[in-house]
Amino acid sequence: MAGMRSQAMHFQARAGQKLADEVLQGALRRAQPLFTAKRQKGMVSLAADGLDFGHLRAAAAAIRQAVLDDLDVWLELFEARAKARGAEVLWARDGAEVSQLVVDLARRHAVRTVTKSKSMLSEEAALNAALLAAGVRPVETDLGEYIVQLADEPPSHIIAPAVHKTIAQVDALFADAHGRPRQTRHSSDIPALAREAREILRPQFLAADMGISGANFLVAETGSAVLVTNEGNGRLVTTLPRLHVVITGIEKVVPTLEDVATLLRLLPRSATGQDISNYVSLLTGTKSADESDGPDQTVFILVDNGRAGLLGSEFEPMLRCIRCGACMNHCPVYFSLGGHAYGWVYPGPMGSVLTPLLTGLDQALDLPWASTGCNQCGEVCPVDIPLPALMRGLRERQQHQQLRPRGERWARRVWGWLALRPRLYRWLTRGLVRYLHWLADGQGRIRIFGLVPGWTAGRDLPVGPGRSFHELYAARKRD
Amino acid sequence: MRIALYVTCLVDLMRPAIGFASLRLLALTGAEVVVPPGQTCCGQPAWSEGDRPLAAALARQAVGQLLNYDVIVVPSGSCAEHIVHTYPQLLSDEAGWRDAAQQVAGRTRELASFLAEALPPGPLPGHFAGTVTYHDSCKGLRGLGIKQAPRDLLLRVNGLNLQEMADCEACCGFGGSFSVRFAEVSTRIVDRKCAAVAASACGAVVGGDLGCLLNIEGRLRRRGDETTRVLHLAEVLAGGSGD
Repeated sequence: MAGMRSQAMHFQARAGQKLADEVLQGALRRAQPLFTAKRQKGMVSLAADGLDFGHLRAAAAAIRQAVLDDLDVWLELFEARAKARGAEVLWARDGAEVSQLVVDLARRHAVRTVTKSKSMLSEEAALNAALLAAGVRPVETDLGEYIVQLADEPPSHIIAPAVHKTIAQVDALFADAHGRPRQTRHSSDIPALAREAREILRPQFLAADMGISGANFLVAETGSAVLVTNEGNGRLVTTLPRLHVVITGIEKVVPTLEDVATLLRLLPRSATGQDISNYVSLLTGTKSADESDGPDQTVFILVDNGRAGLLGSEFEPMLRCIRCGACMNHCPVYFSLGGHAYGWVYPGPMGSVLTPLLTGLDQALDLPWASTGCNQCGEVCPVDIPLPALMRGLRERQQHQQLRPRGERWARRVWGWLALRPRLYRWLTRGLVRYLHWLADGQGRIRIFGLVPGWTAGRDLPVGPGRSFHELYAARKRD
Repeated sequence: MRIALYVTCLVDLMRPAIGFASLRLLALTGAEVVVPPGQTCCGQPAWSEGDRPLAAALARQAVGQLLNYDVIVVPSGSCAEHIVHTYPQLLSDEAGWRDAAQQVAGRTRELASFLAEALPPGPLPGHFAGTVTYHDSCKGLRGLGIKQAPRDLLLRVNGLNLQEMADCEACCGFGGSFSVRFAEVSTRIVDRKCAAVAASACGAVVGGDLGCLLNIEGRLRRRGDETTRVLHLAEVLAGGSGD
């Protein structure tokens, strides 16, 4: 699989670096309560509209599941309807094919500059690198994406790509890129920084030959792409250049506009707490003779990149995902590390499921384990994806494929063997509790525990009285 | 009515007092309370590690031990959730065990939710002079919907004052083997819980799952907090320091 190279195998090592990065930790500490408060506000407004989250998410999950049940049918309908409106529809098996198709289009249409609205699929494909190699300059126009492009980093969050950056870091990036002195900035300066980016980006919007966007949904009945944005850059990218390329995953199709309306009640509320995003664009076909705006040509690139292989499997529910980011916004692991620790395109719980499924189980061994199983993610998911259960399922696959370290397998085997032999277990645990008690200090706590050093690296281990419950209970019954 | 107490492996090894406190509380219901012999572990660690055969073997062992009781009470939301939700699914393909697993699952209750229904009204035996805060454990709260029952019970303890801390529903970072596999991340998460406990200025943090409690107590002590008590709900309700 070509495309963005996964660093997911280095999760453990990266986790340590991220925990030690005080600047990052500060940014994450500030961001999390904002994210959760926003969704909370969205849920309050949902209730104020007389809508029940549980019912609505059951409806949304059903819409997404119905699509997956007959994905080929809906994709063929979408293709026919999009073509009828003058669009071209291309199919890409993987990230490398996406890049090839876009580079070919750029050559065919003599494209020198590309403006991009947010597209996670283009991250999967590592498209920017491919465009640069072909002599085409890609300009990210989503403010967060613009920031991470200047920093030469991948996004760290699917809806807030630069959430890991502080204002001071952004000012330094802007100062260097825009050729001005650095300044001391405060949160009240954010509008000024946004204005600065806007002034730089405006001529790029006007000069671009090709605009690339993702799509939040593809509508089968109309052949349209639905774009949910807040900054207005999406409209400039999709309507100003003569060529508009939509790159999105094959699972993003939904049957009708009615279905989009249902999903839109949940998507912005789950993501940013808004009742509706600042812009919802419905992009259908090319500019017709009597229209003044819009591209001369629209190309859809519909990408598989491992998705079709999940159909019919226990992991199919993952394809219901509508990329709201609520799971990571409520994840204690994500907010301890930030998105870059996860090593590929998608972070947080949805990334911990999707990355091994799309890039290979053996390419992301840690990710299915990077969860406390708290299910804060599953509880907020607007399409009811059982994320902890899917992570557990991936662990089971790792066991089947013998991808776990031998020591870990043996430890569990020995423990299991004993736990299935209660008399022997009881006899050995008598020794264990005495040993623990002997190790403990005067306050009944172990400071350094050689058997499980990970526990006592950051915590004491409070231990019992040196007798197990069952031992004490048996003694009491004898008395 | 015969009630079985399923002690859990952590309570057995790390804090037997919770088991004895549970027995004293269950006795107040007037029912016969039994500790079925042969208990080891419900198998949840094997299940969450993806070892289905071992999880199934441990489930069969527990189902066999627990089948002949009217109610099975577990002083842990996490273990109770595993028996209630996973056992039927885990043994659904085994003709000899399917019905038994469903019966045991249907009769299994987490301690707080059972006590809230089964105890006669009135004050509870515990005495607690001071303010406590309650930590909702993930599997109890999000898995079994346990929220109000432990709070209602705490308010029936003489002298006890309950005050909520910030983010009481947030995970403490324990997560079973997660706490060892990703020890540093786990420590960072429990730090947030410890900060919330400290900010609440309560004399004790109370919870229904010993895993969370060992994690929170271990981190509080390492941070230098020698005074905030970390107690299982059963210990507070039953009073005394246990046995």
